[in-house]
Amino acid sequence: MSSANAPIKEIGELPLAAEQYDFHRITEDVARITENPAPRGWWVLFLTALSLLGGLGLTLAYLFWKGIGAWGNNQPISWAWDITNFVWWVGIGHAGTLISAVLFLFRQKWRTSINRAAEAMTIFAVICALMFPGIHVGRVWLMYYPFPLPNSMGIWPNFKSPLLWDVFAVSTYFTVSLLFWFVGLIPDLATLRDRSKTKLRRMVYGAFALGWRGSNRHWQHYERAYLILAAISTPLVLSVHSVVSFDFATSVEPGWHTTIFPPYFVAGAIFSGFAMVLTLMLVVRVVFKLHGLITLKHIELMNKVILTTGTIVGYAYAMEFFIAWYSGNDYERYVFFVNRATGPYAWAYWTMILCNVISPQLFWKKSWRRSIPLTFVVSIFVNIGMWFERFVIIVTSLHRDFLPSSWGYFHPTPIDVMTYLGSFGLFFTLFCLFIRWIPVIAIAEVKGVLPAADPHHHEEHSHDDSHHEPAHGEASAEA
Amino acid sequence: MSKRQPYNFADNAPDAPHYWTSVEDLEGQLTQSPEYEARVKAAVDQEFGPGDADGPTDDVSRRNFLGIMGASIGLATLEGCRRPEENILPYARMPAQVNPGIPNHYTTVFVDRGDALGLLVESHEGRPTKVEGNPDHPSTRMGATHGAASLRAQASVLDLYDPDRMRQPMMGTERKTWSEFDTALEEMLAPHRANGGEGLRFLTQPSVSPSFLRMREQIKQRFPQAKFHTYESSPLDNIRKGIELAFGTMGNVAYELATSKVTLSLDADFLATEPGNLRSTRGWAASRKMTGATDRDMSRLYVVESTTTVTGGAADHRLRLASRDVHAYLSALAAKLAQLGLALPGLSSALTESATPAGVPAHWIDAVAADLLRARGESAVIAGVRQPAAVHALAHAINHALGNVGHTVQIFPVTDALESESLASIVSLCNDIASVRTLIILGGNPAYDAPAALDFTSKLRGIANSLHATLHHDETSAASKWCVPVAHYLETWGDARALDGTLTIQQPLVEPLYASRSEIELFAQMLAAGPRAGYDIVRATFIDAHPWTVASETKWRRSLTTGVVPDSTATQVATATVRAAEIGAALQALRARPAQALSAQRFEVVFTVDAKLVDGRNANNAWLQELPDPITKISWDNAAMMSPKAARELSITSGDKIEITLDGRKLTVVAFVLPGQADYSIALALGWGRTMAGRVGTNQGFDVNVLRSADAFFMAEGATVRKTGERYALSQSQEYHRMVDRPLAVETTLAKYRETPNFPDYRTPTPRTLPLWRDVDYSHGYKWGLIVDLTSCTGCSACIVACQAENNIPCVGKDQVARGREMLWLRIDRYFVSPRVSAEGHPSDEDTVLVENEPLMAVQPVACVQCEEAPCENVCPVNATVHSPEGLNDMAYNRCIGTRYCSNNCPYKVRRFNYLNFHNDSVYQPLDPDVPETVRMQHNPNVTVRFRGVMEKCTYCVQRIQEGKIKAKNEYRKVRDGEIQTACQQTCPAGAITFGDLNDPQAAVAHLVRTDRRYRLLAELGTKPRTTYLAKIRNPNSEMHG
Repeated sequence: MSSANAPIKEIGELPLAAEQYDFHRITEDVARITENPAPRGWWVLFLTALSLLGGLGLTLAYLFWKGIGAWGNNQPISWAWDITNFVWWVGIGHAGTLISAVLFLFRQKWRTSINRAAEAMTIFAVICALMFPGIHVGRVWLMYYPFPLPNSMGIWPNFKSPLLWDVFAVSTYFTVSLLFWFVGLIPDLATLRDRSKTKLRRMVYGAFALGWRGSNRHWQHYERAYLILAAISTPLVLSVHSVVSFDFATSVEPGWHTTIFPPYFVAGAIFSGFAMVLTLMLVVRVVFKLHGLITLKHIELMNKVILTTGTIVGYAYAMEFFIAWYSGNDYERYVFFVNRATGPYAWAYWTMILCNVISPQLFWKKSWRRSIPLTFVVSIFVNIGMWFERFVIIVTSLHRDFLPSSWGYFHPTPIDVMTYLGSFGLFFTLFCLFIRWIPVIAIAEVKGVLPAADPHHHEEHSHDDSHHEPAHGEASAEA
Repeated sequence: MSKRQPYNFADNAPDAPHYWTSVEDLEGQLTQSPEYEARVKAAVDQEFGPGDADGPTDDVSRRNFLGIMGASIGLATLEGCRRPEENILPYARMPAQVNPGIPNHYTTVFVDRGDALGLLVESHEGRPTKVEGNPDHPSTRMGATHGAASLRAQASVLDLYDPDRMRQPMMGTERKTWSEFDTALEEMLAPHRANGGEGLRFLTQPSVSPSFLRMREQIKQRFPQAKFHTYESSPLDNIRKGIELAFGTMGNVAYELATSKVTLSLDADFLATEPGNLRSTRGWAASRKMTGATDRDMSRLYVVESTTTVTGGAADHRLRLASRDVHAYLSALAAKLAQLGLALPGLSSALTESATPAGVPAHWIDAVAADLLRARGESAVIAGVRQPAAVHALAHAINHALGNVGHTVQIFPVTDALESESLASIVSLCNDIASVRTLIILGGNPAYDAPAALDFTSKLRGIANSLHATLHHDETSAASKWCVPVAHYLETWGDARALDGTLTIQQPLVEPLYASRSEIELFAQMLAAGPRAGYDIVRATFIDAHPWTVASETKWRRSLTTGVVPDSTATQVATATVRAAEIGAALQALRARPAQALSAQRFEVVFTVDAKLVDGRNANNAWLQELPDPITKISWDNAAMMSPKAARELSITSGDKIEITLDGRKLTVVAFVLPGQADYSIALALGWGRTMAGRVGTNQGFDVNVLRSADAFFMAEGATVRKTGERYALSQSQEYHRMVDRPLAVETTLAKYRETPNFPDYRTPTPRTLPLWRDVDYSHGYKWGLIVDLTSCTGCSACIVACQAENNIPCVGKDQVARGREMLWLRIDRYFVSPRVSAEGHPSDEDTVLVENEPLMAVQPVACVQCEEAPCENVCPVNATVHSPEGLNDMAYNRCIGTRYCSNNCPYKVRRFNYLNFHNDSVYQPLDPDVPETVRMQHNPNVTVRFRGVMEKCTYCVQRIQEGKIKAKNEYRKVRDGEIQTACQQTCPAGAITFGDLNDPQAAVAHLVRTDRRYRLLAELGTKPRTTYLAKIRNPNSEMHG
């Protein structure tokens, strides 16, 4: 490797931040978001989110008072929007770790301008996700039963239950993501501390900066810790959604009982996570004028990931049909060929196909990949499509399983809708607070990919200007 | 929830000190403004419902009740405060004393559609909680220790605790005490006592109670000028008159179908709603029991009917025919029988002119006639209650000629020979209304169920003195001057004769919950002579029949303990000769009616007896309201049944509101497209659309009596149907009616069964994959299993209500049923099966034509099948559902947190989740925020009442298993086969359910498990269910085509 800090040649000759950026400007641009009064756009977003969060509180109070019957769940559709939302949010929570850990290990430098926000999004999405298993149980006041707590009865949770694996997998993922995020934040928090003009800020940021002084020794420990956490997180990216998919894959329900689920769920999770990162970053970019740091190049690379994972997901959909046919099992065939494609929920299925399989195919064309409006629309499409994917898997499988006498249909109630919208309230409230109080872009890391950070910058810069070096044989962006 | 005290206004005694805060207040208290009184009244109504007691005397709170009960038990006496004061005797085989925690069983009797079902009622410390059939009673006997009870008998225990029962006499809307009523009744009767009863009329329901009839005779003697009327909206007159027409004496008919090889039903739902249906079901099922492919032949059932019924669904061959054409079909059949050599003397001339009605295939005459002739003395022709007397008479003539009478068709004398024709009787009452000064209505609800054309309600309002004795304050009570509460049958002494004359003493299980009197006690009061108490009246009737001796006292005691008065079964009516001339004349009269073809502009309307509500009497019974209809699976509603063809012609779909116009009378009702309905015939179930039934039954469904008149009582022609354009939401527990070619409710024909006895296994192979873990060894101890014989099951749904009563299953209401949250642990899956026929109309294996209009029904009771490899258990994160060493899939309710994962992973979808607190957010809202205290008194103390957020399901009645095991253990033995019965098994009149220990080689269930046609539902999943099924065998006639 000629230089770890060199701009990645495959994505063009230009470095990962706009020309005008130097160390000072990056610090200024990022830190001022937390220091200046918030722009009006932030307040609009924040107050909207806060109202939704308040709505969530009231909704949950009603839900707990009344029982799960406040939702539209029924027999045979015992899980509906609750678990759909859970899986959807967990999926969204995948991009952060993937970007931070996997791309870090693969030395994908372009991740630096988006990884902070993506990680934050991961954590908030996982918080939203974790809420759903918590509130979807019939007796919330006994929610500690699934935890292996010592008790006088000597009763343990059922370790055979995938739902229990979920508890462990998602909480592990949450813990590691949070640690990873926090470790990455330390140098930037110290920057904010140093720039603080009030005592309170100094103390709060100071406390979280854990005494960071930026010494060489600190940097060495920091980078080692970051690398180790990245290594720990990487398998989690694969494991969490695999485990979540076991909820379905290990059951006997046709439409759920599918061995393809773990990879299919992971691909879908990355797919939806990247879409959500794009949606958010495109907004943040405009509101806080970060066009120079979140460049078209980033967007294009993200779109490549979306195209790849979207195609994988499409393959999985096709494979479900193939296996249903190939198995010769009538119940399986009915679920896919009759019920999904033409049944009462066909509208949901074809919405899913349109959003998840067809819409990302637009990104084969380079100019479309680099179109901001199109990217935004497709990212919203994918968010919708991935929600429908979970809805299709959960509800259309349950609503018609083995015995036609027990077939039913699911009608959401206003409480269902409010719970879902409320989870957005929770997510965006946290996200707005994050934008306002924490450096939304990893200052230290972006500085690291500036040409100025490269000791040989001046030599290479002049060199690069005159000669186009052939591309290095490194891993491509979507690896 | 706190216990609310009743407002005690009665304590405001006039001499109590007055408390006041201001001059205005003092004046206000002194004057008691009318608004204030209205407010108080509204508050009292809100709290207690109409007719409730003001004072503490009628306080029936659970705590007080149990307190009093506890005290009386403590005194170890039978003369407690709420216990009957007379000696009632417990069932002979039960312990004679009351042990807290150990229920007692008492015999009593339930009257249903002219039959009397002997019951054994389970009583927990004085609370009747559950009804079972009495094994000693001929109506309900299933085996030496096993009695069945029907759907409506099972549900009747809930009526006892109905919170909307009347609690106090009322004059108009004013609450009165009994002593005020006594005075008023005397005033009412005083002029009649002087004039011998001139202008005094009684309107009662048909009765099978000797005491009631004896008291009525005494009233007649006391008031010789008084007139008696009987009315019931679904009377059995046609049956009685048909027998009179055929044999010259009125009679009841009981079918003993166990020996019948060929049964032909003519518009008769004899397996569900006809009188004696329990007895008929028992016999029919026995005639079809097959222990294996090499067993004897099974019987065959032909059904000709206009609307799909339980009986039609169970048939081997079913013919859709408008009800009005049934007589023509029967005439044609009789002519054919005569032609084939059956001696029908004197009838041939009447039959020769009969033409086969349009739409009846020739084989329905030829093959059926031949089949009947092959089964002389072992067949039965059964006519339905809505068919005119002539059809009954002709059916009996055929039965007589075939030698069935006395064997499969048994005719017994009627209890009340003077019982007048219901319809004629109420018509004459309405015609004479001007001369009626006092009308006393005992029971019934004519203001609701009299044909609307009679306008009975306004006539009743116009009568100077009227009295209605009733369980509920209903439509008739509201139109009467006075109404008084009568006691429930579990609260009062009485007696009843079954169809075959068997007499049973009706023992009260509990002192009346509210101050109320029985009908015979009211008679006694009007007599003002002789004994007044129900016990004494019944005793007196008994002694009349059995002159007083010491032997008689022994007989009385035996009658109480066994539930059957010894030697009371009647001898069959002599039926030596058939009155051919009269039958012929009646048939001519029927045929003389002009017969225009039915079409989409000219519908036939048929009024059917509802399997659940009968004529509306059960409208406030939440169990019956919620129970899915056996055919349509609609709960909380009735609907107008239309055939797919007729509906298509008028572009009507299920859920459309339609307006039916008949002779200018209009009814708006929701339509339901029912496969198997005769084209251009609409079936309307009676008993729905009550306007004053109580908080459960008011305004559920549609009142079809508005379409009825004296001419259009059971059926009418010439109705027109118009689609209103409105839609109406029906709640169905099952919305999908095809089996989509899955091997679920498996059936075949007898011939194919003989070829391949283990046919059900072909399509449901047991998986050969190795288990993931070592199989549990269940070969020691008990290994419970349950077998459902689909060949016997008719889908009558008695088991569902029995399960509900036994296991404290809440009702959820119409809205929640529509949301798919019904709680019933046991459901009966009903699929329509279309016979496959080739293009030429022959039955065929190749499904070339599916006949949408001619379906048969496959019914399959499904509750938790107790998988040995239960998918639900693996996925529960908290171990709330686990396996017992005996193979039961147990629910630990207090461990359940309600993830509902188990339900998702249950391939049989038998788990039920408490989405809301259904015991609180109940069908009794909005008047009661909680389940009324009385309704809770019905609860089985041995079964947990589940809170919201908890999953539940069938437990194989684990409380009964434990009870049986404890008993056996105390006696140092193993549980005997048949000692433990699940609630569904016990009540099944077809004996379709068998439960027992699979490890006991002698057990019935162990024999059945080895039956060739036994199969596991969804066996290919490898769940190893303990509940397995015996495939359904139909016995079609190979001559029935072409």
